[in-house]
Amino acid sequence: MTASTRRFPPLLRRALRPSEARCYRHCRRPLRPRALRSALPGIWQVYACPGGAVSVVTYFELSNRDPTPQVRAYLRRFTVAASLVRGWDLRSARRHGPELGRPAERFLARSRPGAEIRGTYWRVYPFKDPRGIERRLFACTRHATPEIVFFSAPATSERPRCPRCPPSRRAALR
Amino acid sequence: MTERPAPARPKRLTVVLADWCPHCVPLSEKNGRRLARVLRIPYRRLDIDSAAQERAADRLVRDHGDPAPDYLIPQVFLEWSDGHVQHLLTGFSEAVARTERAWADLWASDWLRGVRREVRR
Repeated sequence: MTASTRRFPPLLRRALRPSEARCYRHCRRPLRPRALRSALPGIWQVYACPGGAVSVVTYFELSNRDPTPQVRAYLRRFTVAASLVRGWDLRSARRHGPELGRPAERFLARSRPGAEIRGTYWRVYPFKDPRGIERRLFACTRHATPEIVFFSAPATSERPRCPRCPPSRRAALR
Repeated sequence: MTERPAPARPKRLTVVLADWCPHCVPLSEKNGRRLARVLRIPYRRLDIDSAAQERAADRLVRDHGDPAPDYLIPQVFLEWSDGHVQHLLTGFSEAVARTERAWADLWASDWLRGVRREVRR
């Protein structure tokens, strides 16, 4: 358990989790949500397929501030190139008790009246590079430090090579 | 003796949406219309692809919703008779099924039960 998960109750983590999500515009396989560690007080989830294609990255925390600036700074540290993290692709969302199921609604009303869950979504839609090749966001987690690297690769790639891995390694989200 | 002001009542339900968005149409449009009907208030759809409605949608999202340069849709708002605008729901980017679950949870919520009780009085 990390510092950030201690500060975000499991009940709320369960309430936010989707029951089923599939790879977006890549392979349609079921997504494997993966938690990330960070110094921020909330929870991260990277929704990527087994080949590493990222559908969306989410961050949620219990607060009344928009965490988007902190989320952007964090993502830029782990993205090659950092310019892939554009303000246009970061979208904020609040989550209120009534839309999260009765246990979460009652928990929020009891323990934190007026509290909100604030979040940021990072979704990079497939885009064309200067040569006209469609690219998309991938993630590699085969690193000790940092634990994840986001990078772009041709959209049709099955398991593209991570720019920070040694040549023999391949991108994979485990 | 001064009269106590009447408690605020729901006045209008607005859904900011786009026709191409599967979280919006038909899912949130259908639920939004139903919610407005249950609360006995008018329903308003603001289509971000309609030049005439986009400005009102942008303003509502900026002042009361979840703003961003390319903000998430749908966003659902409940306007009250005292002028308060309540943000009810923003679509879940993770999956359409998750947005569907959010609507189901909203329908079963303690909050909605309380509002319906007030409306029936």
